[in-house]
Amino acid sequence: MSEKLEAYYGLPNEVKFCKKCVISNQRPSSTIEFKNEKGEKKKVINFNEDGICSACVYHEEKEKGIDWEDRDGKLRELLAQFRSTDGSYDVIVPGSGGKDSAYTAHILKYKYGMNPLTVTWAPHLYTDIGWKNMQEWMHTGGLDNILYTPNGKLHQEMTKNAFHNLLHPFQPFIVGQRIIGPAMAKKFNVKLVMYGENQAEYGNAIEENTNPIMNMNFFSSDDALSMKFGGISMQDYIDKGTYTKDDFAPYIAPNKKDLIDAGVEVHYLGYYLNWDPQECYYYAVENTGFEANPERTEGTYSKYSSIDDKIDPFHYLTTMIKFGIGRCTYDAAQEVRNDKITREEAAYLIKKYDTEFPHKYFKEFLKYIDSTEEEFWETINKHRSPHIWKKVNGEWRLRHTVTKDGTDD
Amino acid sequence: MKIVIIDYDVGNVRSMLNAFKKVGVNPILSNNEEEILSADGVILPGVGAFAHGMENLNKYNLVNTIKKYTNTNKPFMGVCLGMQMLLDESEEFSQTKGLGLISGKVIKLPTKNKSHEKLPHVSWNEIIEKRTKWNNTILKNIEQQSDVYFVHSFITDLKNEDEVLSTTQYSNYEFCSSIKKDNIYGCQFHPEKSGEIGLRIIENFVNICKENIK
Amino acid sequence: MNKIRVIARIDVKNEHVIKGIHLEGLRKVGNPNELAKKYYENSIDEIVLMDAVAAYYDRNSLSEIIQKACEEVFIPITVGGGIRKIEDIQIALNAGADKIAINTQSINTPEFITEATKIFGSQCIVSSIVAKKISDNKWEAYTDNGREPTGKDVVEWAKTVEKLGAGEIMLTSIDKEGTKKGFDIELNKAVSEAVSIPIISSGGMKNSDDALELLLNTNVDAIATASTLHYKLESISDIKQKLTLNGIKVRV
Repeated sequence: MSEKLEAYYGLPNEVKFCKKCVISNQRPSSTIEFKNEKGEKKKVINFNEDGICSACVYHEEKEKGIDWEDRDGKLRELLAQFRSTDGSYDVIVPGSGGKDSAYTAHILKYKYGMNPLTVTWAPHLYTDIGWKNMQEWMHTGGLDNILYTPNGKLHQEMTKNAFHNLLHPFQPFIVGQRIIGPAMAKKFNVKLVMYGENQAEYGNAIEENTNPIMNMNFFSSDDALSMKFGGISMQDYIDKGTYTKDDFAPYIAPNKKDLIDAGVEVHYLGYYLNWDPQECYYYAVENTGFEANPERTEGTYSKYSSIDDKIDPFHYLTTMIKFGIGRCTYDAAQEVRNDKITREEAAYLIKKYDTEFPHKYFKEFLKYIDSTEEEFWETINKHRSPHIWKKVNGEWRLRHTVTKDGTDD
Repeated sequence: MKIVIIDYDVGNVRSMLNAFKKVGVNPILSNNEEEILSADGVILPGVGAFAHGMENLNKYNLVNTIKKYTNTNKPFMGVCLGMQMLLDESEEFSQTKGLGLISGKVIKLPTKNKSHEKLPHVSWNEIIEKRTKWNNTILKNIEQQSDVYFVHSFITDLKNEDEVLSTTQYSNYEFCSSIKKDNIYGCQFHPEKSGEIGLRIIENFVNICKENIK
Repeated sequence: MNKIRVIARIDVKNEHVIKGIHLEGLRKVGNPNELAKKYYENSIDEIVLMDAVAAYYDRNSLSEIIQKACEEVFIPITVGGGIRKIEDIQIALNAGADKIAINTQSINTPEFITEATKIFGSQCIVSSIVAKKISDNKWEAYTDNGREPTGKDVVEWAKTVEKLGAGEIMLTSIDKEGTKKGFDIELNKAVSEAVSIPIISSGGMKNSDDALELLLNTNVDAIATASTLHYKLESISDIKQKLTLNGIKVRV
């Protein structure tokens, strides 16, 4: 096939799969979400000359090159700087009570003697199991929590716009999620914010992972009104008349200077402790009353990853549409790296589950974004990059798959 | 020394083979008449339905072979279904004729109260010596009330009490758990699945075969 | 009353023993043949070998492990996970298994149990039922190693499998599995009162206290445990001793 197919989003034209795990080179790196607008070119995961992705490279370094005792020492030093002596909170742990934040908050309190305040940026629509796990996190895990639920009307409208303009329904959510840690830290006069894993685990630039501190650009801004939600700036929302700047309070990133003056630091626990998401699951079950979903999550084989939001499956559906990467690929790639499954097994699972449509909450999702099924599919199909998708006999199929049975493989 | 395990497509022979290997013998799996008749010891394994077992013995023309072999007075051991088929007949499903080497019939294990007497009888259970002493048999040096592994719903009802080598209690009912008639032995339980005790029983059988050669 | 059987449950993925929680997670805890042999030598009554990922990969691959196990382990071995055809049963039996546990295929095609018992005998076929509590005194049966709900009521399904000819039931509670918080007593009670074939209880045992609670309050015939043994929470002899001291007959 000699015609060069257009690649949307500035994605690399040739689709390749990591030789070690199963992720493709189309996987985007984390972006500063509130600057995310239509037509933006994506930065993607890096593949080295041996065809191995940066997440795998990082993982190997982790296995061999890191002295975890030393890192633990560094953690203790860090915590010693911030540990309170008067009973006040000394670390903010943002999270949902899923396995990762459950582990992070609990271990900081009960092993490292800190006094965490967990803060939850509410999911769009809580699943029963998500709510239960969040509650158990408090009741069984023995932790304090603040649940911050933004104005549902605005959130829904932004999500709707994000879906149709960016095919990225989670974009407004992620803005709030990134901000809540530092924002709450400022509010409660706490200086330390601790997240779980670093996205470099999954393929952001490796240099990011030699630094325990999250890039401040992700959660601070100097010009609130230019922040974009669903591709539309705050100013534009306000100009339309339904909302005022007050309504955007949950999304307004703290001022950079204010954060620096307050001495707020955002760290990744994954820098200091050898992170294994599956072991977080075990820890969470044993310590914070966490329960996996009774049934397999649609689009993957797993039962315990990211199960608290009914909208979540649609995030992964959109990554499948835009990048050809579904939920199963994300889960499987991570498990290959952590030596839970082999690459062959991962490929088999991807073939089985990656393109599975999330029926369970589809109607609720449509209602949430106030769209009809026709509108939904129209938007979906508009965003299929020609270099990833091909229509064959009226059916959309991937051109390239990790099991080499795409239309162009 | 040659031990033959009869192969008639019924039952798990691999465990039996492995058990004999463990006690130092390499048995042959066979349904060939010559092979069987020239053996120093023969095992008839088996699990499942009596009728199916007899059907397969007939299919492989083994009924006469077995009778010929046992007439030579060389040691023979039937295990589980293999023991049941030694009898005259079974009432499982319909009246089916057995090998008729031991007088009596195969009947269903009687149960009264369903919730405490479940079928099949799947359990480790104790073997007890009765009129026939255990020395010089396959149960030589086995402690009284040793636990062996049972899995069956049918039992043997012998006409001649002297041929009962051991009994076992199932709730309130005492049934025959092993048989000896001259050179013919039968175990309702599975010696190849009864841990160390079972291996010793198998070893005893091997030793009886060795003694017999002399 | 029969002696209670104490059974080691060994879940396998490739060449590793794995131990999850709620049938989820693949943490490696040892080598299957080493553990089977160790438990045999320490007087365990039976071994259950489950292929934990057969459902994912549409395969079942325990033959080699079973073969090796049979050479050194002389107690009954039950094998399960991904048994879908009569052929699969034959292969497992030929490799040395004594009993075969079947779940998914039997729920999808109940006649499979009957067919299997006709050919291999009831004593050879164990119906594996994986249960998740959905409300008071109500449980739903799951397939694919606890991943897919079926809408089937567990107690009703248990009665059905008895009618179809299964020789035993292995009952696993998803809620309790791997938690070390004790067995699901109500579940075991409900099922054991509904059928008259032997029941092996699986899921939740931390130590002999849990076993006692189960055995003194229900009519099950055997307990299967994994965490207790793989994580060395209590020895087999201690478990048996505790049971004996409390009036429960076991094989010594």
